Amino acid sequence: MTALLAASGVSVAFSGIRALNDVSLRVEAGERVGLIGPNGAGKTTLFNCLLGILQPDSGRVMLNGVDVGGWPVHRRARAGMSRTFQRVELFSDTTVREHLLIAERIRNGSGAFWKDLIGRGRPRPEEIAACDEVLELLGIVELADQPVESLSLGRSRLVEVGRALMTGPQVLLLDEPSSGLDRDETQALAGTLRAVQESRGYAVLLVEHDVSLVADFTERAYVLDSGSLIAEGSTAEVLADPAVRRAYLGSFEVS
Amino acid sequence: MSGAGGFFEDLFRGLLQGTPPGAVYALVALGFVLTYKTSGVFNLAFGAQAYISAAMYFKAHTLWGWPKWAALVVSAFVLAPLIGLVLERLIFRHLRTASAVSKLVVALGLSVALPELFNQAARFTAVAGRQITGIIPDGASVFYDPFGVYRFNRDELAMMAVALAATLLLAALFRFTMIGLAMRAVVESPRMTELSGINADRTSAFAWALSSTFAGLAGVLIAPRFNSLLSTDFFTLVVIAVAAAAVGKLVSLPRALLGGLGLGWLIAVFNTFLPRWSGDHTWLRPFQENLTPSLPFVVLFAILVLWRAIGREREASDPLSGVDPPPPALAALARHPKLTLFTRLFGVGFIAVVGSVVWFRAGVLWMHLVTTAVIMAVIYLSVTVITGMAGQISLCQGTFAAIGGFTIFQMADRFNMSVLAAALLGAGVAAAVGAVLSLPVLRLGGVWLAIATLAFAFFFDAVMVKFSWVGGGTTALLTGTRVPRPLVGPIDFASDRAFLVLAVVVLVIVSVVVIQLREGTVGRTLTALRGSEVAAASIGISAARARIIAFAVSAAIAGLGGALLSMHQQNVNYSTNFGPVNALFWLVIVVALGARTVEGAIQAGAAFALFEPLILKGDLLAWILRGEDHLPGLLPISGSWRLVLFGMMAIQFARHPEGLVEHGKRRASARINRWLEAREGAAP
Repeated sequence: MTALLAASGVSVAFSGIRALNDVSLRVEAGERVGLIGPNGAGKTTLFNCLLGILQPDSGRVMLNGVDVGGWPVHRRARAGMSRTFQRVELFSDTTVREHLLIAERIRNGSGAFWKDLIGRGRPRPEEIAACDEVLELLGIVELADQPVESLSLGRSRLVEVGRALMTGPQVLLLDEPSSGLDRDETQALAGTLRAVQESRGYAVLLVEHDVSLVADFTERAYVLDSGSLIAEGSTAEVLADPAVRRAYLGSFEVS
Repeated sequence: MSGAGGFFEDLFRGLLQGTPPGAVYALVALGFVLTYKTSGVFNLAFGAQAYISAAMYFKAHTLWGWPKWAALVVSAFVLAPLIGLVLERLIFRHLRTASAVSKLVVALGLSVALPELFNQAARFTAVAGRQITGIIPDGASVFYDPFGVYRFNRDELAMMAVALAATLLLAALFRFTMIGLAMRAVVESPRMTELSGINADRTSAFAWALSSTFAGLAGVLIAPRFNSLLSTDFFTLVVIAVAAAAVGKLVSLPRALLGGLGLGWLIAVFNTFLPRWSGDHTWLRPFQENLTPSLPFVVLFAILVLWRAIGREREASDPLSGVDPPPPALAALARHPKLTLFTRLFGVGFIAVVGSVVWFRAGVLWMHLVTTAVIMAVIYLSVTVITGMAGQISLCQGTFAAIGGFTIFQMADRFNMSVLAAALLGAGVAAAVGAVLSLPVLRLGGVWLAIATLAFAFFFDAVMVKFSWVGGGTTALLTGTRVPRPLVGPIDFASDRAFLVLAVVVLVIVSVVVIQLREGTVGRTLTALRGSEVAAASIGISAARARIIAFAVSAAIAGLGGALLSMHQQNVNYSTNFGPVNALFWLVIVVALGARTVEGAIQAGAAFALFEPLILKGDLLAWILRGEDHLPGLLPISGSWRLVLFGMMAIQFARHPEGLVEHGKRRASARINRWLEAREGAAP
């Protein structure tokens, strides 16, 4: 059986320094997987290889059994890989709903150039309804007409999630969603993420340094240290692994 | 000296010959990089600064008869740094956190305004016929021949010596002094630097004074190589410097130095060999004839396109930029519905009144001006698409417009094609050129794209226009590139009124197209890309595809506008209408008034065509009442003040990057909104 998203033997070197060393990773459909590791472990590098922002020196990235190695970022996105950003990346000068609308238009593929010319380029009622459904799910429908500049960081994250959901992802890659949020905000975000994931059924790959969020949210986890995988397995097992705790967790105690 | 020695002797001679100008290019490139490194400003006004010093030197020495040393001190060591300080203090200091693109626009405005300001203030006019002398006595007449192949004159030796001294000084400054270290720190982050106790303002002021001195020196040194003092020649100088600076990716001073020297050598070597080759290959001749002026642009373009490392890295981002407040939203986002209704009604009424006055009362001159305004608005809508919607700075819109004009000229002249069909064809050709051009420059962003398009515009200007299948070749010089007015069935657009109607119809169609695109998928895709390229890619947007469309649409609109303008004037008039410097002018006027909206483009068109005759020369009221064409000037201001005002406008833009029209709209609509809300609050 082919995995939904699989990286095998990925290696990357930056001017001689091994950033990733023969790393393999699998995400099955509908699964919640965590990727953790100390700063500089190569999490972001691996993330970028999966998304196509970075080309690995060797190794393969497969999506639904298809090698997507040479595909640019936007093509992988259309094939079902969607993401959020650690440092929020929203489109300035637009409202919350407009973020989702453009993603929906790209997904449904009805944005041909000539349609704009004959006035068929404006948002259609069914597109607006689809966006509002997702905003409802995320609990931010009342913000739909707000310019994104006015939102708090936590809500901006939700807008990013909503935008990612509009692309109809098979796997959603979350890049440190808790960064910049306090404990309460993180818990609220985790609750929303779980509820939405359960109702939509896509897979999640969560890159995170907040161990409690990983412990709470994911079923399986991979641990990177100095560019190599040092552990993988069910999240509870991995977090209890003495090698992991030595490398990364330090004084952290898993009850 | 043997005329045509061996290959290596010729090569050696070429290299020697190219060293003095190369040294001056290096000097400008060093100053350019210095400014860019310390203030992030891509200072295209550098050429203007060089011009002012050269003109000052000429005035003081040649016209007033001052001794050379005194003229040099005043022009290059007093006036030049002073200008740098004033620019830094009044303008660029306030722009430190502005985007690279808005800084570029301000510099472009200054590059046009500064020479005019100087000419007006010093009552200086370009002087032909008087010998422009260098800084050394008998500079052009005493020769030295150290190698037996090329005779350096004293001026050339002075060029090399000054450039060498300046380089050593700069190197010492960076290596051994506190201010050098501070300058390097300011580049990284002015605010971080201030946090560590360095006065960033003073450091940046020093850098500006120093680099402006370099510009002034370069101007004085290079001036004897020109026949007369024209600010446009000095603009070319700065483009050469940009090419040299690009060799060092704008940050490396040693590489900029090498780049300058290398360009000097390259030009001289090509000038040595190309005339021989083109004797055998006639197709080379247009290239050969125009190679010297165009070589820097070709080199610049080649560096930008072929060198993968350029434009890759993101524009220098200030680590503390996160603390800047977000930009305010578009006025239309927060507007009371009553206000919208009112402004629409007012707009319709205004157009009706102006339209009827023009239609019934205007004479030939005014009909002509209004038609020009309408056509310029069409051309400016191309800037709305590429800059307002796609967020890219293109400096070759004039070239696209020229392609439209030349297409009509060629089709009508050779194939007797219907003029309107030829205009559409011209738009198509421009779109194709735009799309093809966008392919290699796509990965460049921001300032780099602007420079690549500028290089393309200059290349077109220096080489392509001379081909007979483009600009008509030498016959066109005699007969002019004549373009007929269209004749459709019974309607003969040779009548000015009929042609005005045609222009208005085209403007309406193009405006509707632009609005549809802006509201449609294309516009929203481009908005997403402008907001965040990585996020746009993450939802499946192909930046390349979106930008190719934007470029092609923008080029098509410019081509159509250029075709209309050529029909209107019944001649392409390439250099007065579409030269590379015009496109700079266009860009600044549109972004200053508002590049995001269709109104902005229309107002810019009106401003371009009507500002001078209405405000500077005419009495609007008298014209409306009596319908006269020629009016006594209301304000005793010469036309070239227009350029100065234009520079002021560019500076104004820096304070309101959303555009003056948009800024005014925001302020007014906020005020009226408050008033309407207060009234509604009081009513129930």
